[in-house]
This record gives sequence, C-alpha cells and structure tokens, in this order.
Amino acid sequence: MLEATLSALEQSARLRINGAKSLEELEAVRVDALGRKGTLAQAGKEMGKVPAEERGRIGKLLNAVKGNLEEAFATKKRLFDEAALKARLDSEWLDLTLPAAGVPRGHLHPISKIQAEIEDLFISMGFVVLDGPEVETEYHNFDALNIPAGHPARDMQDTFWVEGGHVLRTHTSPVQVRGMEELGPPLRMIAPGRVFRNESVDASHDHTFYQLEGMMIDRDVSVGNLTYFMKTLLGSIFGREVTVRLRPGFFPFVEPGFELDIQCLLCGGPGCAVCKQSGWVELLPCGLVNPNVLRMSGIDPEEWNGFAFGLGLTRLVMMRYGIDDIRQLQSGSLRLLNQF
Amino acid sequence: MKFSFNWIREFTDVPQSASARDLERLITMKTAECEGIEPVGGLLAAACIATVASVEEMPGGHHRKAVVETERYGLKTVVCGAPNCRAGMTTVYVPLGTKSIGGVESDGMLASGAELGINRDAAGIVELAAGETLDRCSPDGVIEIDNKSITHRPDLWGHYGMAREVAAILGSELRDPIGMDLLPAGNAAIDVSIADFSLCARYSALVFENVTVKPSPLWLQYRLEAIGLNPINNIVDFTNFIMAELGQPTHAFDRGLISGATIFVRPARTGESIRALNGEDYDLAETNLVIADASGPVAIAGVIGGEAAAISGRTTSIILESANFQAASVRKTSAQLKLRTDASMRFEKGQDPENTTRALARAVALLEELSPGIRLVGGVADGRKPAAEPPVIQLPLDWLARKLGRSLAVADVRQILERLQFGVSESSPGVLAVTVPSWRATKDIAVKDDLVEEVGRMIGYSSIDPQPPALLASPPKPDPKRLFHRELRALLTGIGFTEVYNYSFVSLEEIGRFGFTAAEHVAVLNPVASGQELLRTSLLPGIRRNVVENTRYFDSFRLFEIGREIHRQPAGLPDEPAHLVAVVHARDDGAPGLFELKHAAETILPGAAIRPVAARSFEHPARAAEVLWRGETVGRLFEFGPSMEIDGRTAVLDLDLRKVGRRMGGESKYTPPGKYPSSEFDLSVLAGLREHVGDLRAKVAGFAGSLAESVEYVRQYSGPPFSEGVKSVTFRLRVGSPERTLASEEVGAVRTAIIEGMKGLGYELRV
Repeated sequence: MLEATLSALEQSARLRINGAKSLEELEAVRVDALGRKGTLAQAGKEMGKVPAEERGRIGKLLNAVKGNLEEAFATKKRLFDEAALKARLDSEWLDLTLPAAGVPRGHLHPISKIQAEIEDLFISMGFVVLDGPEVETEYHNFDALNIPAGHPARDMQDTFWVEGGHVLRTHTSPVQVRGMEELGPPLRMIAPGRVFRNESVDASHDHTFYQLEGMMIDRDVSVGNLTYFMKTLLGSIFGREVTVRLRPGFFPFVEPGFELDIQCLLCGGPGCAVCKQSGWVELLPCGLVNPNVLRMSGIDPEEWNGFAFGLGLTRLVMMRYGIDDIRQLQSGSLRLLNQF
Repeated sequence: MKFSFNWIREFTDVPQSASARDLERLITMKTAECEGIEPVGGLLAAACIATVASVEEMPGGHHRKAVVETERYGLKTVVCGAPNCRAGMTTVYVPLGTKSIGGVESDGMLASGAELGINRDAAGIVELAAGETLDRCSPDGVIEIDNKSITHRPDLWGHYGMAREVAAILGSELRDPIGMDLLPAGNAAIDVSIADFSLCARYSALVFENVTVKPSPLWLQYRLEAIGLNPINNIVDFTNFIMAELGQPTHAFDRGLISGATIFVRPARTGESIRALNGEDYDLAETNLVIADASGPVAIAGVIGGEAAAISGRTTSIILESANFQAASVRKTSAQLKLRTDASMRFEKGQDPENTTRALARAVALLEELSPGIRLVGGVADGRKPAAEPPVIQLPLDWLARKLGRSLAVADVRQILERLQFGVSESSPGVLAVTVPSWRATKDIAVKDDLVEEVGRMIGYSSIDPQPPALLASPPKPDPKRLFHRELRALLTGIGFTEVYNYSFVSLEEIGRFGFTAAEHVAVLNPVASGQELLRTSLLPGIRRNVVENTRYFDSFRLFEIGREIHRQPAGLPDEPAHLVAVVHARDDGAPGLFELKHAAETILPGAAIRPVAARSFEHPARAAEVLWRGETVGRLFEFGPSMEIDGRTAVLDLDLRKVGRRMGGESKYTPPGKYPSSEFDLSVLAGLREHVGDLRAKVAGFAGSLAESVEYVRQYSGPPFSEGVKSVTFRLRVGSPERTLASEEVGAVRTAIIEGMKGLGYELRV
C-alpha cells in the first residue's frame, strides 16, 4: 500500500521538478515534496502502519525515493543556477574598445632616451658616467685642453662669456679634464651634457645642444682600440653593423685627430641626398689624447695614453628620428614630444 | 681656402686620368677636410685665340658683324655686341654653334674675360697682348678646403704646400718653382730695424724700380679669379699670387712715399693711428706691431697696409716686404681691430721664417714677366733672429706600433716620413731620429705623438683593425644621482608626465614676471640674441612658457623638466643644483592637479610632508606649500597665480634634487606582520573650516598612543547640522598589539584618551 504511494509520489514529484519553469517554482516543489510537512514526510508517518517484517524494505525504499528526489532537485537547480549565472554575466557585457581609464602615459624627451641607451652601453663596457658644470672655468674649457689664449682653435667655437671670466662650456670636453683630475688613470668615462655656442640660430644650428664625450686612458691604447669602441657604439646606436672610416681632423686636445665618418645608412655607399652623394656621413671627432692634455691633468704621457671622442647627441637624435629642425627639441612643444 | 687643381699640377704630376674630384678624395682621407669642388673655366676647353679680320656695323647699331681668323676653327663670322670689338685685335673665340642674330648667321662667339672665368671684366671682349697665349688657361676644378681643418697646418695655406702634400700621397716628384739664385747679392738699398725678434722673427725686403703698373697677363688673372681673388693690377696681383702659391704674405710699398731709408718694425706708440688700405682709420696701441718709416706707421704688421705708402698709377719704385710675424701678436691685433685679412689669417697659424726670401725670389721671376723693364735695386735686406736648429724627434717604432694598433716595417715608416720631407735616420735599432722641415716646425710638429698622425694618415686608418683593449674588465662605480634622475623620468612618464628641455637662458622680462632681480643671476657678457642675457636661477620661467605655448593646442597636460639652476656665488664657479619641476595644467579649478603632484612627491619621497606657507608673488595666494622630507625643506607645491597669465590653472611641484639626492625607497627593514587581529573605530572632530586636516590628524595620532597602528583620514563635511564655519573631519583608527588581541576595554581606553585629549584642546567630537 505505502509502497505504491511512494512510487506514485516519486513519479509525480519528478514530473513537477522537471516541469518547473523557475527557481521559485522548483523551490515550491521541493517544499511540497521534501519539506518538513511535505508529501514524503507525510508518507513517512505511515511507516508505523507497515508490518514489522516489511518495515526494513519499505524504509530503504523511502530513503531511496528521498535521495532520488533530492538529486533530481539538485540537478534541476543547477540548471537554473547556471542559466542565471549566464544571464548575469551576459548582462555585464562591456565595450572594451572604450578609452582606457587613468592618465595616459607621458613621454620621455628623445635626448633622454638616446642618452640613456648610450650610457647603458658604455656602463656595460666599464665606463663611468661623469658630470661637470654648465658654467665652466676658462681653464677647463680651453687651456687644459691644449687651447691656450691666442690659439686659433678658440675661433672654431663661438663662446658665451659670463662674469668672473667663466664661459658657458662650448663642449663636454672639460669633463675629460675633471675626470682625469678627480679619478686619474686608468680611466674609462663618458660625459653627456648640455653645451653652448654663441651663434645665430637656424634649422640646423642652436645655441644650446647636447654632446656626449668619451675618454679611455690606460697603458697602450691604440687607434685600433678607438675604432673598436666607435664601431661598437655606432652599431649599438643604429642597431646594425656599421662601416666607419677615420680621416685626419684637427682638434687641439687630440693627436692624431680624426673625423669619423659612417657609411651612409640610407644608401649604403653609392651616394644619396643625405650623404651629399659621397656615401659617407660625418659623425664624430675623435683621436688619441694629446700628451699635453694628459700632462696638464697630472698624468704622465710616457706611462699612460688614451683616446677621446665627442658625439653630437642632439645630431644623433635628429638623425635617428628624422627631426629636421633642431629648434623643435627645446621648444617644449607637446606636438613634438608626444611622438616619443 | 680654395685650391686650383691646375695650379697644384704645376708642381707635381697627378695621373692624367685623375680628376679634381679624385684629388679631393685623396686630400680628404689623408690631409684635410674638403667642402666641395667647383668647376671653373669650362668654356676654355674649346676656346682658341682669334684675330678680328673685319668689323661691319649692323642695322640698329647694337651689334656688329665680325669676321675672325681663329687658330683652331678657321675663318668664322660672328655677331658681337662688345664695344671694344675692332679689326686687328686679338681676342678669344668660343664655338657655340650657329644662331641667327639680326639676320646674320653667327657661328660661335667672341668672349669676355668674365664669360671665360679669367677675370670679372664683362664690359667687352677679352684682348690679348702681343705674343700672349692661352697656354695656362684651361678648364680647372677648384677644391675648397675647410679652413678649420688646416688651422694647425700653416704650410697648407698655399698651393705649393698642398702640392707637397699631394706629392707625398702619390709618391710623385715635387717641382719647386723657386730659383733662389735669382736673388741679387750685395748691399741692400734699405735698412731694416726690428725692435723685438720675438714679435718679428724675420723681415726681408727688396727694392724694385722702373715699375709699370698695368693689368696682369691673362694666365695669372685666371689663376687668381679661379680661387676667388679679384685681379686688379700687376702689383696687387703678384703679391696675391705669391701668397696663394707659397702661403707667404708680402706687401708692396711705393718707395717714393716712404720717408728715409730704414724700415722700422716696432710696437705702435701711444696715440699713433693709421688709415689702412680699406679706407678705415685705426687707433693703435702698444700691443699692435707696425711697420713704420721715419715719419710713422705705414702698415699694421701682418694685417694690412696703410694708405700713406700705397701703390698707385704713379708708382715707379717699390719696396717689397716679405716678413714673418709672431702668430699670437697678429691674432691679437686682428681681433682687437676686428680686421681679418688673408695675410693675418696666415700669420696667425705660425708661418715658416725660411719662406720670406723664397717669396722674394719668386717675385723677381714674376715681375720680370709682369712688369717688363723692371730693375732690382741693391741686394736683399734681411733682418732676422738666428735661424733655429731644425728640431729632431726620436720615434721608437714599437711605441708607434702600439699607438696605432698595427706594426709597420722600418722601411715603410721611413719612406712615408721622407716623402713628407722629414729627415730620417735610425739613431738606434728600432728608433728613428726624425728631423722636422722648417715649414712644419713652427708649431705643428713638436713631439713624437705628432708623427703618429703623419704615419697613420699616410698608411690609411682603414688599414688598422678594430681591436678590443687587452684590459681587465671591472664594473664602473655606481652613480646614485644619475640612477635617481632616471628613476624619476621613468616614474613621471609612467604617471602621465611628458619631459621637456628648456634653455639655460632667461630674459630680463621673464625674470621680472617672477619678481626675480637681475642681480641674483649670472650675466652673459656677449649674448647674440635677446633673451640670452641671464642664466636661469629657476626652471619655472621656462616651464611657464611651455604651459602658455601648449595651451594653444591642448586643454590639459602634464609636463616635467629635470635641469639645473645656476646661482651666482661670491667667488668661483656658480652653484648648479639640479631641480625637478612638474606641472599639471587643466581648465578646471586646479585642485586635482595639486593633489596629483602631491601624490607624485610622496611617491618620489616616501614620508614627505606638505606644509602650507605664505605664497610668493607668482603663486596662488591660497594654494602654496613647502615639501618637507626628513626634516628639511626640499621643494614647493603650489598653483601659478594670476600674474602668470595662463589660460586655465597650473599646479606646480618644484623639487631640489640635490637635497633629495638619493634613490627612491632606499633600504627596507622587515618586521613580521602581527598575528593578532586589530580593531577599528571612527572619530569625527569638529574644527574650523580652514583648519588643516594634516594638523588635526597629527593631534589625533598624538593622543592615540602606542597601540594605534594607523590614523586614516576618511572624509570631511560642512553644512547642516553644523553651524557656519565649522566642518566635521572623520578619521579611522586601527589599534592593535603584536603580542595579543586587545580587550574591548583597552580599545575603548585609546578612544577615550583621544576624545579627552582633543576636548582638552577645545575640540568638540562626534562619536
């Protein structure tokens, strides 16, 4: 009797569970069937009427029906939960092509960028990075570099003079002198910095620009060592193997002095507008340090020698990014700077 | 300096197939920097001498029909407009094809000196003297050398010197144009008195008479014109010619206008002045060396001649000066008088004293051709300090090889130096004794390092392989300042700031706007343009300009600059502290910008505090504060005030990086996190509207005692129910202990302590 009731009860509850249209409806079925006062609980009360020998079997049946219905309920509930989750997530759809939140990144000045690159390269080769004042003594800017008063080379650089007989440094070379004075040999140093020339300004000349000076002092430093470092430097800056050549150039602080040319990166040699049809672009002056310069900074040229070079940092930046007007670089214009 | 290819070829053989361009490349690689090549005298390739057989006026009167007998092309009929075209004259014909002019078929043209490139005469066709040829007038290439690159080479300021270089490069023979035997022997017709041999190492002179002043022959005019010197007359031209050929400046005085028979080389006397050949008057000082006769200065030594004894059409006798003046003295005088001449430019480089009499010998040969009938009077006047022994440099070959980074055979080094006309002998095994020729000995070659260049450039630097140095590698000393600046750049660009670079110059107007005075700035003594008078003592004027200019294109932006201020000092070099200035510009009320910058400051300087202070004239009077870090004022945070005249609002952070001077963060010390839970409670303090939250927080924290883990600002509020002028500031306190969980009585005690403490200070609390 109870057995038949349980079977019917299970069947009808299953039908209602499967047919539930919502979580609420399902919950109502659960209360009806499995709740404390539900149909199954009601049926359980009938157990007392079951003959003793049947009780064990019917009891198991009751538990089985309960288990089955709970499982069916859970399965159905999971379906509803999954659908609900899916619906919620779907409602949270976002247009990720909308602009990013927060402040957009800023931009490093292109000179800072290239300068950092070159600094890192030289630091990796054991060079220190040194600094000197923008207002320099006449001694450090000229005399100690073998350019005494009255030397025609002073005419090669138009100089800003300030009070006290000082100058706005016309090159970063005085930092060589400071490096030799403070650190002594052996020495491997570079000195990036701002330099000044008292000349009229146009698209390719500014009264303020950046140079990067380099110097290595040791025993038996040769022209071959110089070309090695220059090739390494330029290869790294331009990101590929470069061909360089040295030709004579006159700078009082080096002997011999060179102009270093790089084979035109645009045409690779045959000649184009950038290299003025020569196949070569003049890039930097360099040379072996003049023994007078060593001597003036207290270094014995019989024991030590070295090379020095001066890289036009501003010029390099202009070449690298194709900037055709030098004045743009210190204009503070975001229309330029936002590009870096 | 311009060099004629043809002129150089007179002294040494250049392969027939070689062009001026080929020579330019060689010179560039071995000697000096070339700036370009300019072809001149192109028409001369096909030109030939022609005699005008007949001339016939054409209708209209502008043109004439001439029949000419040409040397290369037979009889030709040309139409010629030149007023000097006449039958019987000898001129130059150029075949240019046939064209019809005024109904006449004109076959080619008769050319003017200007058209041929021989001189600047375009008034008529060129006229040849009897027996004159076009032998040395052929198309030429002019090589322009960068003067800077031969600053150290006095010998390269003339064609012969450059030819000597070319001969050394090519290994070809060098032909000396000088015949010293042309110099007359015997007593000089004039005396030379040199006051100071250190200022004038040598003064040579020669007297000529029966001089005719007239145009120079065409070949000489052509040589001068090619290198940019205007032919004038034979006397002016030959001095220019000698200078361009030998690098030795000479000067011709009209002997008839010189008083006395002695040439004095002496410092000018106080009060002396001179009218120079350029028509200008110059007041002279004792630092100026002059050439003088009995009555006063007739030339400024090594710079320019005077009008008093100038050559003119009436000149019949000349004194030709060929002297050697001290480089520094000429340079100083030339700079002081602001007068640079071809002569002063050469003397400044340190000319060879041996060259003076060579130039005189060259003059003798030239003047015989340029002024037929000219006669020498007496021998050479030659005052000089005794010639120095030629310097000898010991050159160890192993040292040379180490310098170059390449080994060389003795024979090769020897050959290179000998071609450059150094004397070479082997003083001991592996060491060369190198004697420097006089024209390289004035200052160019003095030590063995100078010989490295001579050998290096001749073997070609491309023959030296790049080699890494054979050194122990050691890491360079770290540079915390530079790393710090780099970190700042990375941080600031990461949070939206863009880096600018501004000039170190500021104008009076700009500093005036900021209320700075000129006296506190380092002044530039020789600015070329306005706005460069002073050096900046602050990065603010520059960044303000950036803001003003960028507001034309952008509504809001963030900028920063890391640069140096320059402060004058009582003595010595100025002080140059590095500063960081960052700005946030926006159209709104500016407050968010200030807090953004405050955040930046706290990120850069963990633990930094902001202390409101009185504003400076250019700051917003109610929005100015100092930045304190580790007990020291290291900068300012403010908004630009209305006097800055900026469209919109600009918040500014200015940090003295030298005071900050070290990397962000620094070393950290670890303490284990507490194991016991802490408790939180909120407290609201009623305070005056303008009372600083920072101060209130400090007071609350002070009463909270050692159990307080943090005191955080939550919010502030003013308005009902609070009375006018009062705000409620809410703080959240977290209390706890690393040793145990606090009992609620202990937490309550902290709370009571704060409430009682604040009440003691007169504050009302909402709890």
